[in-house]
Amino acid sequence: MSKSAATALELGLVNCHDCHLLVELEQARRHPHCPRCGAHLHARKPNSLARTWALVWAAIIFIVPANVLPMTVTTTLGAKQADTIMSGVIYFMQSGSWEIAAVIFIASVFVPFAKLCILIFLLCSVQFRWGWRPKDRTSLYRLTELVGRWSMVDIYVVTILVALVKLGAVAAIEAGPAAVYFAAVVVTTMFAAESFDPRLIWDVLEEDV
Amino acid sequence: MTDRSQVERQAAEPVVQAKRRFSIVWIVPLVALAIGGWLAFKAIREKGPTITITFATADGLEAGKTKIKFKDVEIGQVETISLQDDASKVVVTAKMVKGSEPFLTDQTKFWVVRPRISGGSVTGLGTVLSGSYIGIDGSKQGAPTLSFTGLEVPPVVSFDHPGRYFQIVADTLGSLDVGSPVYYRQIQVGQVVSYSFNKEGTGVDIKIFIDAPHYTKVTENTRFWNASGFDVSLTAQGLKVDTQSVVSILNGGIAFDLAKELGPGVEAKENEFFYLYPDRNATQEKRYTIRNYYVLLFDESVRGLNVGAPLEMYGIKMGEVVDLKLEFDVDRKKFTVPVTVAMEPERVSSSKKQEALKIIENDPGVFITSLVEQQGLRAQLQSANLLTGQMMINLVFVPDAPKATLTSRNGLTVVPTIPGSFERLQEGLSKIIANLEKVKFDQIGGELQQTLKETKTTVAEIGGLAKKLNSETAPKLQATLAELQKTLVELQKGMGKDSPLNYNATKAVEELSLTLRSLRELLTTLDNQPQSLIFGKEKKSGE
Repeated sequence: MSKSAATALELGLVNCHDCHLLVELEQARRHPHCPRCGAHLHARKPNSLARTWALVWAAIIFIVPANVLPMTVTTTLGAKQADTIMSGVIYFMQSGSWEIAAVIFIASVFVPFAKLCILIFLLCSVQFRWGWRPKDRTSLYRLTELVGRWSMVDIYVVTILVALVKLGAVAAIEAGPAAVYFAAVVVTTMFAAESFDPRLIWDVLEEDV
Repeated sequence: MTDRSQVERQAAEPVVQAKRRFSIVWIVPLVALAIGGWLAFKAIREKGPTITITFATADGLEAGKTKIKFKDVEIGQVETISLQDDASKVVVTAKMVKGSEPFLTDQTKFWVVRPRISGGSVTGLGTVLSGSYIGIDGSKQGAPTLSFTGLEVPPVVSFDHPGRYFQIVADTLGSLDVGSPVYYRQIQVGQVVSYSFNKEGTGVDIKIFIDAPHYTKVTENTRFWNASGFDVSLTAQGLKVDTQSVVSILNGGIAFDLAKELGPGVEAKENEFFYLYPDRNATQEKRYTIRNYYVLLFDESVRGLNVGAPLEMYGIKMGEVVDLKLEFDVDRKKFTVPVTVAMEPERVSSSKKQEALKIIENDPGVFITSLVEQQGLRAQLQSANLLTGQMMINLVFVPDAPKATLTSRNGLTVVPTIPGSFERLQEGLSKIIANLEKVKFDQIGGELQQTLKETKTTVAEIGGLAKKLNSETAPKLQATLAELQKTLVELQKGMGKDSPLNYNATKAVEELSLTLRSLRELLTTLDNQPQSLIFGKEKKSGE
């Protein structure tokens, strides 16, 4: 695989991230700016592993209050009810709305956790130089990047509900503290996915050979 | 460009060390850690105790939703609801907020607040919409604990409510219930808090709570009575209905007041015992502390006399019958009915009451002896109610009663009795009957028959006489009458208008009249001139 094609790094070339101009590595080291568009040039995302780890850790921390604290506080005829993400899923499941329960579960529980797991797995694989199925790992990364932003669905639902259901004493919905942490989880995982450089997966293979 | 590169190629390559600079991006997880740590710290710091409460049912309770409220402030939330192992109770696990520990003692009460409608009030109406919650009445007094037994009914009085508890002892509960009002002069001042059987099961202990400041009205001389329902009495003054309030009719109630004639006395202490009288009148009756017991021996039927029947003197109640039974006197071979009566001398008013009471209390024997032996005090059975046949005992003074002396029987003085009014009537009747029995009715009958026989013959003789009279005497009588008529006709002719007899008679009467006139003149003259009898009539000068 490595013998069939040379990588840009091997040839001493760097691809500008913004305008995709090929720049020589030597030049890039001295002048870490794209001569054409002025963007920062680097052969690999700088400090990628450390940044991704940091963001992943932040997301891991944030995901705890996001799931433990109430997401919405519903007041119906004087009865206050605080729902966490999971209790909302259970509520919809018990009330027979399987579809809604599934959507919320996938968007708000499954996806963030899956994303974090994938990121951790990818980070570990690079850190400990695993050579296991690099192609699949790359597609996992793509999946993570693609699906990440959809986790915000839950936040959108909450904001819309809060705005819509303002019927005074009869019914009112307020966003719970978990909304903030949940949004933080989504954002940090998105940044983590962004800061992870999938080329590192392949670099490990190149270096090993 | 090439020159520069050549130069550089000649120059030593600087060692470019990977910067071990602390990446700014690690601030993100640090911030996250700080927030997470703070949240965790807060959660741990604010974590209150977890308690378990057992209830009979979990009606209206929901895990994760039902709140625990103390004075309507949320201090906890139900976490789980599960059945006890033997499924006899429901165990509710609840998380309390930090700071609620001081109130979680074995005195603390938990109950489920639901809408409740009882006779007098509607409570928990707010929970119709908002759902039930668990109410708590925290008390700092008591040993700290984390497992509680929930009450099925909310406590009537909370711990911090100022007031005082009292114990009421009653024979039966009547229509009282928890929450039944307690009235003082028809103003509600408290309520029934709880009730239970007493230890022996012979009565009911009722716990009441009197609000501050009214509990000062409860003193050692206070009498409590059952004000449930209403009393209807039909008296000579008309129909009288007595009640405390409409609520007490529905829900029962207790009223209290000072016993009349007694001062307020010392204020009652917490949890002091009082007796619950059945009604207000009963409170007046039972305030007599002196009760003297006497035995009355009756030889007659006491049918209609019951325990509790009144003992009266001059129509005023003096006491009541406390016991009666039939006894067989082996020695005399005779049945008697000893009736034990309780006399309450305090009922009697007297100008020197205290003095009299002292005498009675100290030596009741002397008093009754003088009454019985000197004034002829006797007990007598009397009908109290002609319709129902109830009997009562009347104390009467019979001055001409046969002399009696007081005896003692089982330590009680025996007051002599006289037969009751009915009994006396019966006695009188039997006396009459006995006398009647003495009459020889057969002899009288025989004589009467003889007389009748003789009368019959007499009547027959009279009949014969009449016949004879009819046949013989009547025709003769008729003839006589005819002759008499003839005579009368002749007599009429002789004495008729133109008859000589009539004429002569008229003449004679005229003569007599003239003579009488002369006589009157003579008398007048004699009256005026008596001397004329001797000297003759004087001529008047004018003549």
